[in-house]
Amino acid sequence: MNGMVQVPRRTVLVCCGTGCLANNSMEIYKKLKDKAAELESGFPVIPVLKATGCNGLCERGPIVQVLPDDIFYCKVSVSDVDEIFERTILKGDVIERLLYLDASSGKRVRSFKESEFYKKQFKIALRNIGQIDPSCIDDYIERGGYEALKKALFEMSPEQVISEIERSGLRGRGGAGFPTGYKWRQCSKTNDFPKYVVCNGDEGDPGAFMDRSIMEGDPHSVIEGMIIGAYAVGAEKGFIYIRDEYSLAVRNVSKAIEDAYIRGYLGRDIIGSGFSLDIEVVRGGGAFVCGESTALMASIEGRVGEPRVKYIRSTEKGLWGKPTVLNNVETWANVPVIITRGVEWFSSIGTEKSKGTKVFSLVGKVKNTGLIEVPMGMTLREIIFGIGGGIAGSGKFKAVQTGGPSGGCIPEALLDLPVDFDSLSDAGSMMGSGGMIVMDDRTCMVEVARYYLKFLSEESCGKCTPCREGIRRMLEVLEDICAGEGREEDIELLLELSETVKEASLCGLGKTAPNPVLTTIKYFESEYLAHIKEKRCPAGVCKKLTSYRINADLCRGCGLCAKRCPAGAISGKQGKIYEIDQGICTVCGTCREVCRFGAVEVAGRATE
Amino acid sequence: MKVIIDDKEFEAEYGEYILDVARRNGIHIPTLCHSDAVPGQGSCRLCIVEVYERGKNKVVVSCLYPITGEIKVYTNSEKIHRMRRNIIRLLAARAPGSEYIKKLKEEYGIPEETRFKVDEKEKCVLCGLCVKACEKLGSMAISTVNRGATKKVAPPFEEPPVDCIGCTSCAHVCPTGAIEVREYEGKRVIWNRTFELLKCTSCGRYFITREQYEYMKNRHGIDMKELLCDRCRQKSTAEKLVSLYKKLLVKKTLFQCYRLQKD
Ligand SMILES: Cc1cc2nc3c(=O)[nH]c(=O)nc-3n(C[C@H](O)[C@H](O)[C@H](O)COP(=O)(O)O)c2cc1C
Ligand code: SF4
Ligand code: SF4
Ligand code: SF4
Ligand code: FES
Ligand code: FES
Repeated sequence: MNGMVQVPRRTVLVCCGTGCLANNSMEIYKKLKDKAAELESGFPVIPVLKATGCNGLCERGPIVQVLPDDIFYCKVSVSDVDEIFERTILKGDVIERLLYLDASSGKRVRSFKESEFYKKQFKIALRNIGQIDPSCIDDYIERGGYEALKKALFEMSPEQVISEIERSGLRGRGGAGFPTGYKWRQCSKTNDFPKYVVCNGDEGDPGAFMDRSIMEGDPHSVIEGMIIGAYAVGAEKGFIYIRDEYSLAVRNVSKAIEDAYIRGYLGRDIIGSGFSLDIEVVRGGGAFVCGESTALMASIEGRVGEPRVKYIRSTEKGLWGKPTVLNNVETWANVPVIITRGVEWFSSIGTEKSKGTKVFSLVGKVKNTGLIEVPMGMTLREIIFGIGGGIAGSGKFKAVQTGGPSGGCIPEALLDLPVDFDSLSDAGSMMGSGGMIVMDDRTCMVEVARYYLKFLSEESCGKCTPCREGIRRMLEVLEDICAGEGREEDIELLLELSETVKEASLCGLGKTAPNPVLTTIKYFESEYLAHIKEKRCPAGVCKKLTSYRINADLCRGCGLCAKRCPAGAISGKQGKIYEIDQGICTVCGTCREVCRFGAVEVAGRATE
Repeated sequence: MKVIIDDKEFEAEYGEYILDVARRNGIHIPTLCHSDAVPGQGSCRLCIVEVYERGKNKVVVSCLYPITGEIKVYTNSEKIHRMRRNIIRLLAARAPGSEYIKKLKEEYGIPEETRFKVDEKEKCVLCGLCVKACEKLGSMAISTVNRGATKKVAPPFEEPPVDCIGCTSCAHVCPTGAIEVREYEGKRVIWNRTFELLKCTSCGRYFITREQYEYMKNRHGIDMKELLCDRCRQKSTAEKLVSLYKKLLVKKTLFQCYRLQKD
């Protein structure tokens, strides 16, 4: 071009999702932007700065990426900015200490894509996350955004769209895995107007953040999916229901809606197709149960967010008694990709009955934590030991809890289970929205069940008897067991109450609430028995059933435990065997943590 | 259409609830939160039944399950019986103070509770009928507050409710007698609020609160002169009928006289 050399650009992506923002990423972004602006013209590189949505690696944030060099920095602080600018952005040098530490190999990798964590993933729903500025519609369009909408509106009939989604085998990502195409067809068949489409962005599972990440980082993919769905079923109004705490998601989604209106993707006569749709954001009611479909709709209508009996489906009588399609954030985000890339491609991913991918939030005692997206059917072992890099610390794998608070705990023997909707429910757990918490051998499974039941007893809306009273009584029994007051017949009682709560409750919360109890009894019954009969907590977690002893054969007399014990319960002489005074010991577990020789052992309830 | 309940065939209309068909045919299903006046709760789950529909079997609440196809219903299968007993046990552990619950407990042979901690005075089972009844009336003076195990029915801020008119509809609809109403010396106390009572203009008996009267006046245009208690109103209606009949009789007689004269 005119014999002039084109000045190379370096795109700098700074993560400005909720997690990174909390760690000052906005300041990093601004400072980099200022520095780029101050750069004299004629400099041989042009830095282009972008603020992205959550990369799903919040624990390692703030994240800064430099393209096209593909350099990926973690835990960047404001004080690193000058160096990053001078060395990496201007010269393309790598700053070793900021690179992503791949816990699986123990090495730092230049590009995140080289890490074990990333390599085994397959991104559909998260395709644009961290790669685009969510507030910039052109970024989305540049990566193929709104192509699916054009294809659907101009080349396909509503019927064809529905049949495409049906044949793709897409199942709802919000919990139950209900076939999306079937849901759309039911709604399209119902001859009653107006019709509605709703996006469920309530995401009440503690610790889960897949939907937040999508809404923050790639809001247009959800909006595009909804427009396509609305066209397919004949809806003219859409609602995106977002959890109240997700203020950034609310902001980014609202901005995206505004931009979509400006570009003619929303509103009257969408891009000249004759089809019209309005979408509005609704802020959530603040309770876990508001994510349940009927409670969510009540909440949109301005009523108390309580579930109601639904023997008539929402696709017939949903919002304001009119036909409604309600899908999860991730479900909607999958739709445009299926339309552009086609059914054959999509249904080649995953297992026979669970197609495509699923996003999980992998947390707990694994080396690599964060959001991951994997093809359905990958085994738990591949996820936990491959992507997750195995157990963090010195512990051993004990169980993985999937499906959120009312999911179940899956033991080591089932690690080769392929992760899909059906095999997880066969194992007594569920896919849920995609929580995955890894637990090591220092976890007490009775305590785990107690913990979840406590959460559920507080989050039950309290409308129906089995859920409100049943969970509360099961919790009472579990608390007794953890406190050493368990009775012989308690396991039987828990099983019997579980059946009633599961079968007779009104909504999905009650119907799944016993899962944590049922799976821990099924796979870890011996732990219950140890608590009840031997008054002992094998994992050393339930304080009333735990005492610590120093094993004389293993103690080397270093005295570290005595030095660290906050209660001053340990006495002894350097080089001699130390001893714990059970009367003073508060069972805090510090000695067990600090002993380098594993000499502090867990025993049953102290007998004083 | 046909429906099979406990192996017997019955006629049902499309969309009719299982409970209604069962009741019409003398099949007893216990209920607690069901009321014809305030339908649609589905909260107590006492009325559960097993339904076999298109090869699938499920547990549903009979008070709200509409019959829309060929179904077989079991109102007291082994499983239903077992779960219903559990529900009654849970209800009894929650509201041991209620006579109605005590009776249910006896009927189903539930032993005294020894495993759970109970509050002997509690009577409310949180069926929600009182709140719905008050809402339907238009007062909306009470509501449920909190979630889960701490949920309860209460007036706003748990103070004597400003919107309450003292009509006692909530107390009447309550299946467990959990709402206390006291009347003395021309006063009525409910939800810790004291109301002044007005007298029947005919018999002089106290029967209505001033707020209730105001409410009726504004809504239905009834004025003070017609302020009659139920008993007197019935009497007055009867008297009106008699006088009407008499008038008719007079007319008829006059007419006959007239005819006679003409002939
Ligand atoms: C207690 C409870 C909480 C739920 N929370 C959510 C939620 O936060 N997000 C969600 O998408 N679905 C949630 N669901 C599932 C929804 O009821 C509904 O099935 C789902 O949104 C349908 O969308 P899908 O078919 O795309 O999965 C919840 C269900 C229950 C019973
Ligand atoms: S199952 Fe639980 S959350 Fe659902 S309606 Fe009943 S009490 Fe409410
Ligand atoms: S148990 Fe370990 S830390 Fe404690 S005294 Fe013995 S050697 Fe030292
Ligand atoms: S007070 Fe009576 S009517 Fe009201 S919720 Fe309690 S049991 Fe039901
Ligand atoms: S917010 Fe940056 S990785 Fe989640
Ligand atoms: S009577 Fe049917 S649920 Fe209460």
